[in-house]
Amino acid sequence: MREYAFFLGCIAPNRYPGAESASYRTAEKLGIKLLDLEGASCCPAPGAFGSIDLDIWYAMAARNLVLAEQMKKDIALICNGCYKSIWEVNHKLKHHPELKERVNEVLKGIDMEFKGTIDVWHLAELFYDPEIVGVQKIRDSVKVSMEGTRIAVHYGCHLMKPRKERHFGTTEHPTWMEEMVAALGAEPVEYRNKMLCCGAGGGVRGYDIVHSLDITNEKLINLKEARVDALTEVCPFCQLQFDRGQIEIEEKFGVKYNLPVLHYCELLGLAQGMSPQELALDLHGISCEPFLQKVL
Amino acid sequence: MAEKKMKKETASKKKEAKTEKTKAAPAAKSALAPMTDAKNARVGVFICHCGTNIAGSVDIKAVEEYARSLPGVAFAANYQYVCSTPGQKIITDAINEHNLTGTVVAACSPRLHEPTFRMATKMGGLNPFRFEMANIREQGAWVHMHDREGATEKAKDAIRIAVAKASLLQDLIPKSVPVEKAAMVVGAGIAGMQAALDLANAGIKTYLIEKSPTIGGRMSQLDKTFPTLDCSQCILTPKMVDVGRAENIELMTYTEVESVEGYIGNFDVTLRRKPRGVLTPAEAEARGLVGGGCNGCGDCEPVCPVIKPNLFEMGMKPRKAIYIYHPQVVPLIYTVDFDSCIKCGLCVTACGEKKAIDLEAKDEFVKVKVGTAILALGYDMFPIEKKEEWGYQKYENVVNSLEFERLICASGPTGGHMVRPSDGVTPKKVAFLLCAGSRDNTGVGKPYCSRFCCMYSLKHAHQLIEKIPGVQPYIFYMDIRSFGKMYEEFYYRIQDEGARFIRGRVANILEDPDTKNLIIMADDTLLDRPMKLEVDMVVLAAAVQPSSDTDRTRKLFGVSCSLDGWLLEAHPKLNPCGTTTAGVYIAGVCQGPKDIPDTVSSAEGAASAASIPIHMGEVELEPYFAQCIEEKCAGCGMCVNLCPYQALALVEKDGRKVMEVTEAKCKGCGTCGGFCPGGAIWMQHFATPQIIAQIDAFLLGGAK
Repeated sequence: MREYAFFLGCIAPNRYPGAESASYRTAEKLGIKLLDLEGASCCPAPGAFGSIDLDIWYAMAARNLVLAEQMKKDIALICNGCYKSIWEVNHKLKHHPELKERVNEVLKGIDMEFKGTIDVWHLAELFYDPEIVGVQKIRDSVKVSMEGTRIAVHYGCHLMKPRKERHFGTTEHPTWMEEMVAALGAEPVEYRNKMLCCGAGGGVRGYDIVHSLDITNEKLINLKEARVDALTEVCPFCQLQFDRGQIEIEEKFGVKYNLPVLHYCELLGLAQGMSPQELALDLHGISCEPFLQKVL
Repeated sequence: MAEKKMKKETASKKKEAKTEKTKAAPAAKSALAPMTDAKNARVGVFICHCGTNIAGSVDIKAVEEYARSLPGVAFAANYQYVCSTPGQKIITDAINEHNLTGTVVAACSPRLHEPTFRMATKMGGLNPFRFEMANIREQGAWVHMHDREGATEKAKDAIRIAVAKASLLQDLIPKSVPVEKAAMVVGAGIAGMQAALDLANAGIKTYLIEKSPTIGGRMSQLDKTFPTLDCSQCILTPKMVDVGRAENIELMTYTEVESVEGYIGNFDVTLRRKPRGVLTPAEAEARGLVGGGCNGCGDCEPVCPVIKPNLFEMGMKPRKAIYIYHPQVVPLIYTVDFDSCIKCGLCVTACGEKKAIDLEAKDEFVKVKVGTAILALGYDMFPIEKKEEWGYQKYENVVNSLEFERLICASGPTGGHMVRPSDGVTPKKVAFLLCAGSRDNTGVGKPYCSRFCCMYSLKHAHQLIEKIPGVQPYIFYMDIRSFGKMYEEFYYRIQDEGARFIRGRVANILEDPDTKNLIIMADDTLLDRPMKLEVDMVVLAAAVQPSSDTDRTRKLFGVSCSLDGWLLEAHPKLNPCGTTTAGVYIAGVCQGPKDIPDTVSSAEGAASAASIPIHMGEVELEPYFAQCIEEKCAGCGMCVNLCPYQALALVEKDGRKVMEVTEAKCKGCGTCGGFCPGGAIWMQHFATPQIIAQIDAFLLGGAK
């Protein structure tokens, strides 16, 4: 069994604990053991910290990386915001010796040193990678088929872009997550402007909530047009924006969508036989009931 | 006059003196040109400031002092610009005054001024090959601009190495070879056609090779040309007809270059004539079918049951398995597409007595000999579907500019009625995206400017306004580059006609699934705000890239390319049509994006350059040949098989076998010289003792 240091992030454990528990359990069924990364802090949030002081962002992310280096394990994580911070800072420090030196100067204060000995992975990419898990293994692990449901995918910006600093190839029209949705028996659905932002990232949600919800609303219109039963994503912050954002949209714009939003790990948990209670789906802002009735 | 005579006298005296000295050289080299004995070498070193190019980061004085201290150096000087007339005079004077046996100029790259200084050395009365260059600019001052100490030390190293070689240089005599009075032009677009016509009109037999079934190239696909708005076909077809008729042009369409051997003046080119399946009248006559062969009547086409997309129409019109691209093709001979032909034979029956169709045709190989060659390989459109955000090939109403040209062309698939692909409706709002895949540093597109897209997109906007009442063209641009004669005026004209210009790159295009209209998301950088615009149709002014065959063909002719794949000229400013392979020239877009006027100019330039060696009748080859030291040669023949240029052979001499070099074929690559187990091969100008002296000079600080 492959072992990874599991970087939890903030939103999953605090807002969607089901995504957290689902990650441990689904990964284990697919041959990945997620180990606790003790002492980890916030990633820190790339938009909020990065846009104010990059050096703080580098140093805090580097501290989290060093914790995993000390465990001698690669990091796995389940949030695109964390991915941007942890993956990108790791990448930058490995490739820019001057920056590494500067960051290590800061880390010296807490007796740490960034060495650049580990890699960082999004759990979703480990799931997709045929050398590690692969779509076939996911398909084999399904106990409750999602046949008859229409599910749309939101990739999230920080996972895929900037293109030059990622390794996913196409960023304009990826389909690998759709393959993972199809592996659960569901029908992956195309919709207009799939790669549009959820509206939350980059500090937009904190700075201008109406503008932020306007973007979310446009995505929801496009999703409604495609008649989907649920939306899945791999980022708790996107999840928060789509899920609790629907309540805010109803308050501010008076439009109701009632679209269930599930992290891919939650979806996979359901398919592997976890109960809605185990996945804490009742803590979602928008009820997953209509979707659950189709599945269970 | 008197002065010159004197110089000559001293020079010849010196030569005599040298020959005497070298008589003492090892007997093994007796057959070869005399080599200076390092002990008697008197080398002059001339250090160039190149303005501040070198002097800015190299301590010239220190370098000169150092040069003067080297063994074998009899004279050292420095000058602002050694390549200038007074600079060259310093060299010629010093050769005479100091009785020099060799010269070293420490300056720029030998690719720039080696010929200049060889000439100066010759003017001073020495053999020009007694000159050696030390590159202290490109490989010194420029790359160590901020390290004066390091650059100075490196310059000293370079000079020490050059002096070591110059002390051992030989007199060499270049060889003249006759030049075949024929030329070849590869590619028969407007560049190739123009070059071939110029060569033919200058009295030179010219083979014009085209891989497609017809000549005309990209220009024949265009509707109108900017800024004059004359019809592209109307100005092109007379030239096509001229090419077809010219006595001196041997036109070979549907033909590719298979292999190239030889060198300037004597290229042996093997051509592959792809099986066309249809005989020309001449070919038919050769087979005894007098009056037969294809006359272009087209009887074969309607009966053919196979339908394929016509690539000339960008796949927007069907053609049969036996086809011509369009009615004005030259030569007017049909072609069988053997990849899709089912050999039903209906066309053969329809052709009847003319017996033009031969469904069993095979590749034919033809050999021709030419003195010079011009590559005019043209361009392809960049596969703009790679820029996925614009949805080309995903959304029906997103087309590229070449497709637009066909859609608006009277002879195109819609007869010139501008309609959009999804529903055949005339578009009222059309957006043009400039720099689509050009000036693109994302790693997906091309970093360079494709240069003519601004202008043809302006022309497209004009054509729409002219043809469709009430139409609104929108032009999304980064900068409008209206660089040519009357181009800026044309730009203003299109502005006045009502085209809207939005400065900003389009981020994303979405399709309305019901109407198939397109929603453009862009950033208007002049108003500094994001914008959304719904249009009926989008035209992507896609980047251009070297045509698919370019890489294969350039390698056959030994031509280099730059990072972006365009063929590399000998000098970007002063020799734009030449290449680093003597006798091979480049014309048109294959050298870099060009509009039609620039393409024609470059073609005429290439034709002029390619005709010079032919008219001179002979060319001098640099004398870097391998030489056999017969006393040492064991006649094993290993080198004969190693030679990549078939320049070596074993011959009988005095009852034993020895190697012999065909000097004109030898490129001086040194493969044989490096291998020969007996050390019996002497590489002129790169001889083993010379190279060893250079290595010693570098590692040991100079021969003592």
